[in-house]
Amino acid sequence: MGFHIVKRDSCPLWKKALLYVIAVLAALVLGGVLLLAMGVDPLAYYSRMFTMGMVGNKIAYKAFENYLKVFVPLALTSVALSLAFKMRFWNIGGEGQFIMGSIAAATVALKLGPVLPSAITLILMCLAAMLAAGIYGAFVAVLKVKFGTNETLMTLMLNYVALYVLMFLGDRKADWNFFLQEQSARPVFQSFADLASFPKIMFGKFGLNICVILTFLVGTLVFVYLKYTKHGYEISVVGDSAGTAHYAGMKVNAIVLRTVFLSACLIGLAAAFKVGTAGVLSTAITDDVGWTGIIVAWLSQLNTAVIFVVSALISMLHYGSVAAAATFSKVDSSFANMLQGVILFLVFTAEFFIRFRVVRNKKGGKQ
Amino acid sequence: MKKFLALVMALAMTLSLAACGNEAPSTSGSASQPEVAELKVGAIYINSKNDTAGYTFAHHSGIVGGMKDLGLNPETQLVIVDEVPEDKQQVLAAVDTLVGQGADIIFGISFGYIDAMEEAAGLYPDVIFSHGTGYKSNETNFNNYFGRAYQARYLAGIAAGLKSLETGNNNVGYVAAYTTAYAETASGINGFALGVQAANPNAKVYVKNLGAWADEVNEKAYAEELINTFNCGVISQHCDSAQPQIAAQNAGVFGCGYNSDMTADAPAAHLTAAIWNWNVYYATAMQAAMDCAGDASKFVEKMGGSAYYGGLKEGFVDASPLTENCAANTDKAIEAVKAMIVNGEWDVFSGVKLSIAADGTVTSADAALVDNAGNEIVAAGGPSVEDGVITGTMNYLVAGVEEV
Repeated sequence: MGFHIVKRDSCPLWKKALLYVIAVLAALVLGGVLLLAMGVDPLAYYSRMFTMGMVGNKIAYKAFENYLKVFVPLALTSVALSLAFKMRFWNIGGEGQFIMGSIAAATVALKLGPVLPSAITLILMCLAAMLAAGIYGAFVAVLKVKFGTNETLMTLMLNYVALYVLMFLGDRKADWNFFLQEQSARPVFQSFADLASFPKIMFGKFGLNICVILTFLVGTLVFVYLKYTKHGYEISVVGDSAGTAHYAGMKVNAIVLRTVFLSACLIGLAAAFKVGTAGVLSTAITDDVGWTGIIVAWLSQLNTAVIFVVSALISMLHYGSVAAAATFSKVDSSFANMLQGVILFLVFTAEFFIRFRVVRNKKGGKQ
Repeated sequence: MKKFLALVMALAMTLSLAACGNEAPSTSGSASQPEVAELKVGAIYINSKNDTAGYTFAHHSGIVGGMKDLGLNPETQLVIVDEVPEDKQQVLAAVDTLVGQGADIIFGISFGYIDAMEEAAGLYPDVIFSHGTGYKSNETNFNNYFGRAYQARYLAGIAAGLKSLETGNNNVGYVAAYTTAYAETASGINGFALGVQAANPNAKVYVKNLGAWADEVNEKAYAEELINTFNCGVISQHCDSAQPQIAAQNAGVFGCGYNSDMTADAPAAHLTAAIWNWNVYYATAMQAAMDCAGDASKFVEKMGGSAYYGGLKEGFVDASPLTENCAANTDKAIEAVKAMIVNGEWDVFSGVKLSIAADGTVTSADAALVDNAGNEIVAAGGPSVEDGVITGTMNYLVAGVEEV
């Protein structure tokens, strides 16, 4: 007696949906049991979480603005990562590329912000961030193409290089360090002039940051790029088999370089949006989007449209659980993180059952 | 496959039924009762509110303790966003969350929240903002708070100095988060060293610079280095964990903790710790907030100024209860000096030097305060340096201190 695992040929949509729903419900039940063990009413907690604390909140519009601030960098980074993943280039360096983009955008904002018109500063911030992040990402692609290095390790390690560069800038008071406030004895990042932040379109009290619109626009462009252009086709062929692509006469190396550069560029753009909204650098500027983005891209099976849905849900979980934890004295942010982990873990389990099925070995059957 | 699914669903249903079943008693406990006062307190923490040691724990205990002192109920009147990094956007989002929950006063405990707190105070003039360890403020609804830890450190220094006399080992060690980079750390080292020298004029204080507010591995390693390489017989510290005290105990020497009483961590080594009683400030601030009666703009006026800087006098800092490990007459000496500081007769960074005899009696004499490069900071007989220096610009170590 035993079991073995068989790959499914296909899985009907209703079954997929059902499996995902079961996974999320099972995670919530598991979380509910833990909440009960802590003496917290799970229904009260969850209702706060899923409404992101907006019900009975006199400044609910602020909560929604803050939710979008979490959503934008995550969605854009996930879309960017999916470009590289589609080519089976494992870009784990979203964090590092995001940080390099942030530093570049902040440099423009601090140095040019005071002298240039707002719109030009913002455009230059985006371009500088894209270039910095793009080069930081493409560097690894060059190494891979030239020397066959492992991009997973390289991008991973470069995350820490970037993080320590940012921490150094945030910690070292010096004449050259224009990132820090001059007047503060302790190191504090210098805020930008108001002109170097993205404008909002006001709907009553609620301000819709134009980054949200731009993010949807970029997402649409990437969707079209992947689906309807020659480049997009090349990416998927290289992803399926570099050998096939080569025999088909494609310049594989050039495609890899181009795509990784583009992927990292878009992460840089996400960083520019983030920095241009926050108005200041911080060592926590990435908010872990480089890591979470990998999960989002993977959960969405690299489908650009689905990425937006999954990003919206993950951001809701992220922001909602913090908002809920605020009013429950026993539940801290660690619980919120753990609940996210349980949900993701079970959703991945559901994924597994969508792709594979478990079959009982036949009696006396040979393997 | 169907069987498996059915099983999972059955399990899920059972669990959710159990969840529903148990729910009733937990809600009945939180039935709304009229509160003594309606103040809603908000707090933003750098680490988890469920921590059991360290910086956030000290503040959380202080806020909960302060609320209890005033008859407020932390279960219903305290809202917290924790694990908030020093990131302006995330701090402002936390402020929005707390204001959305109706917070009347919001405490931010980490220095890096400074710009976000300032901006929030402008955005929400109806809410009081109070920032720990910061230096920004306004005239109405935004203050900052910190304490004269150097006074408590001086008392701990006396215990260390008397111990060094008793053991005949003049070398005293100090594991510091930073040295002259921050006035907070420099004033801590200086306060302690002056206390040591009052009891033992021949003592030398060796300081190791961690370069981080918390780093358990090096906290231990540096303490061991001070003991083994520099032959230190008492180890003091400015860092988050009790590792230096544990290292002292393992080596059979003595130590002075910080932040909280570390006697339980190193019972055979610990003398006394310089401690914070954060509830003293939090109760004061919450009382002032209630006295505002809904007009947040009166907060700074009710607090008597935009910067709270309490010390031994207010009971905000103190030396923890002395242990059996202390040298004879330590209690007598510390009591006498504490009284002098509390009644305003004397302060640590002045041109008057105290001398403590072996029998615990305290005498004072005019003597210049000099740094370890030989520069005179305060002339003999001069008044103590200004608070602004201690909180902001003190960037020297006093004579007798060596950074190694």
